[in-house]
Amino acid sequence: MLIEYYPQGSFIHRLDVRTKTLGFFVFTTASFCFENPLINLLILILLWFMLSTMNSPMSKVYGIIKSLLPIFIIMLVITGFTYPASKFTNEENRKILFYLLPDYGLPMTTGGLYYGLTLVLRIFVMVLASSIITFSTSIEDILQFLKKVKMPHQMAFVIATGIRFIPTMQAKSEMIREAQMARGAEFDKGGIVKKIKSYIPVLIPMIVDSLRMSDNLAIAMLNRGFGSMKTTTNLTEIEMKSIDYIISVITLTILAIVLYAKSKNIGAL
Amino acid sequence: MNSSNERGTIKVEVQKYQYENSIDVTLKNLHFDIKKGEFVGLMGRTGAGKTTTLMLLNGLIPNFFEGNFDGTVISNSMNTQRYRVQTLSRFVGLVMQDPETQIFGITVEKDVAFGPSNLAIEKSRISEIINESLNVVGLNGYKNRISTELSGGEKQRLTIAGVLAMEPEILVLDEPTSELDPEGRREIYKLLKILVKEKNVTVIISGHDSEEMLEFTDRIIVLDKGTIVWNGIPQSLFNDKELAEKYGIMPTGNNSNDLEQINRINEEKLNAEGTLKEKKIMIEARNLSFEYENGRKALKDINLKIFEKEFVSLIGKNGAGKTTFSKQINGLLKPKSGTILINGVDIKNNSTAELSKEIGYVFQNPDHQIFSATVYDEVEYGLKNLKLTEDEREERVKNALEFVGLSNQNKRHPFTLGKGERQKLAVASILAMKPKILVIDEPTTGQDWDGTKRMMELMKKLNSEGTTLITITHNLKLALEYSDRIIKFSDGKVESDFSNIKAI
Repeated sequence: MLIEYYPQGSFIHRLDVRTKTLGFFVFTTASFCFENPLINLLILILLWFMLSTMNSPMSKVYGIIKSLLPIFIIMLVITGFTYPASKFTNEENRKILFYLLPDYGLPMTTGGLYYGLTLVLRIFVMVLASSIITFSTSIEDILQFLKKVKMPHQMAFVIATGIRFIPTMQAKSEMIREAQMARGAEFDKGGIVKKIKSYIPVLIPMIVDSLRMSDNLAIAMLNRGFGSMKTTTNLTEIEMKSIDYIISVITLTILAIVLYAKSKNIGAL
Repeated sequence: MNSSNERGTIKVEVQKYQYENSIDVTLKNLHFDIKKGEFVGLMGRTGAGKTTTLMLLNGLIPNFFEGNFDGTVISNSMNTQRYRVQTLSRFVGLVMQDPETQIFGITVEKDVAFGPSNLAIEKSRISEIINESLNVVGLNGYKNRISTELSGGEKQRLTIAGVLAMEPEILVLDEPTSELDPEGRREIYKLLKILVKEKNVTVIISGHDSEEMLEFTDRIIVLDKGTIVWNGIPQSLFNDKELAEKYGIMPTGNNSNDLEQINRINEEKLNAEGTLKEKKIMIEARNLSFEYENGRKALKDINLKIFEKEFVSLIGKNGAGKTTFSKQINGLLKPKSGTILINGVDIKNNSTAELSKEIGYVFQNPDHQIFSATVYDEVEYGLKNLKLTEDEREERVKNALEFVGLSNQNKRHPFTLGKGERQKLAVASILAMKPKILVIDEPTTGQDWDGTKRMMELMKKLNSEGTTLITITHNLKLALEYSDRIIKFSDGKVESDFSNIKAI
C-alpha cells in the first residue's frame, strides 16, 4: 500500500499529510454514523470525485473492489436475512420481502437489505479514502508524520529501508526462480503440496541471501555514521500551510454536523 | 613528530587477528603505513585477507567483528579501538563490495543524504554536499531517480557518492569494480585518481584489476595468507611476470585488449568460415527481437548461427544484450518477433524445464541456486527433475563432481565451500544433466586469477569433450585465449562476429 505513491501535482497532493489524515478520519466516521445507504452513497460519490481530480490510476482501485465483490454479495445476503423487522424504527424498513423457508422462516427485510448495502458502501468508502492518501502522499511524508507522533527514529528508518528493499528482493527471487528453472524446476504444477514443495529451492537461497544481506546492511549503516549523533537532520519537514488550516476547519465542521445529525437520529434505518 | 599523528595517514601494526568461530588466523604480522594523499592498491588471492585488512582501517575490526585481535591501528591519527565505527566513519569512508546492501535511500538524493544527516549536518549544507558528491562520481542530474532502477555501474558510483558525502579524509574501497564492464571499471579508477589529486584524499582500493592498478595506483601491497608478501610501486610488480603469477595476480600486458587487432583477425574470418559451414548448426536465431516490459528494446533483429562443439564468447558492455540473448536459448525469455531454433527446431512452445535436458545454463551467482544441505544433494536436484532412476543419478552425480574436482566433498554443506568452489558446484549441478549446449554467464566475475584460470580450463575441457559452449564475459583477453569465436554485442545488435584464429 505504502509504495503506491503516484506523484502528481494535484490539489490533494499538495495538502499536508495531517490534513489528509484528518479528512480520512472524518469521512470514515461519517460513513459509520449513518446507516442509510443513500447518505453513504453521497459520501462515496464525493470521495470518487476527489480521487478523479488526482489523476490517479483508477484501475488499481477497481482491482481492489473487484477482489472484494464476493464478500459484498455474502454481506448483502447475510444482513438481509438476519436482521428481523423489529430492529428497525422506520415502518418502510420493517416490510418483509419474502421468506426463504416455508412457515415464515428466514424473512428477508427491506431494512436488512438496506443495512447490508450500507456495510458494503462503508468498505467502498474505506478503500477510496485510503487510496486517496496512499496515492497522493510520499513515504517520506508519512514517515515524517509518524515521527511527529513520536515514533522513534530507528523505527522510521526500519520502515523506510524495508520499503526500499521490496524491489530488490523481487528481483532476487526472480533470478533464483530462473536459475532453478534452468535446472528443470517447474513451479505451480500439481497439487497444493507439490506446489509448496517446488518453491523450497527458491525459498532457501532467498533466506540465506537475506541473512547475508542483513549483515552487510548493518556494516553499511555503521559506515554511513548511523547512530553517531543523538539527533539526525530532517531532510523534509512537513508543513501545514494556510490552505491546510482552511481545509481542516472545513472537515472539522463537517464532523460537527455529522455528529449533530447522528444525535438527532438522522440517517438511521 | 610521529607521522601516524598526521591526519589522512594510516598506521597498521597488527600481530594477529582471528575471527570468532574461525579455526584459522586471518591476519598475522601485518605492518604497513600509508601517507596522506597516497593511492594504494591492495591485491592478492581470494581469502588472502584483503577485506579483513580493509575492515581494520575504520574499526569494523575489532569493534564490530570482535574476534581475537592483537595490535593497534591508527587511522587519521585516531586509534580505532578507542572510537566507535560511526564516529570514525566521518573520517575514514569504507565502500564495500555489494552496492545493493549499501543503498538506503529510495531516491538517489535521499541516499546520498543518509550519511550527512546521520552526522546531523545542517540541512542547507547537505544539499550542497549532495550536489558536490554526485558531481564527483558523474551522476549529476540523477537526484530524483529511484535508486533500485539504476544500472550496476550507476549503483556502484552511488555508493561511492554516499561515502564521499561524509567528506572523509581517507577513502577505502573493497573490490568496487567486480561487477563492472571494463569501461565502468576504468571510470571508477579515474574518478579516484581525481579525488587523490584534487582533494588530497588518501585512497586504498582492493581488487583484481591488474591493468588499472598498474596505471592508476602509486603503490601496491600484496597479501598472501594474511600477511604482506610484497609492497612497492606497481611497475616493479607487473614487470616481473613470474612474481605476479606467484601471488595469484593476473599479469598485465600483451595488449590483446585492443579491438584493432581483433578486427585484423576478423579479416581472416572468411577462411575460417569455410570449415564452419560443414558443421551442424546447433543454435540459430532468425530476425530475433526482444523487448522488456518497460519497453526497452534489448535485442534488435539478431541473425546468428552457432555450430556444434563451438566455444563462443559473448562480449560487450553491460546492457548490450548478451544475457538477454542467452536467456532466449533456454526459453527463460521468449522472442518478441523472429525465431530461435535449437537443433533445427523452433522452441517457442517449449518450457525452460523441457529445454533443460538439452541446454544447461549456469548463472553468475552460484548462491542464487544452491539450496541443499550437501554437495551431493545439490547436484542431484536437476536429475530428479529429469526423473532419472536412482542408479543413474548416483552415477551422474559422481561423474560431474569428479569432473569439476569436488568428488571428495560430496558430504559437505555447500555454504562451507569457498566462492570458487561454490561456482564449480553450480557448474557440476548443470553438467550432471548432460546438456549438449552449455551457457555460462560470467564465470570469472569476482574470482581471483587462480580461480579464473581453473574455471577457463574446466570449460575448455568440457568443450573438447563435445559440449557446445557459450560464455558471457567482460574479459577479452580470456575470450581470445580460450574461445573459438567471439561475438560482440552492442546496443541489442551483433556488432562484430569473428573466428578466433589463435584458438582454432
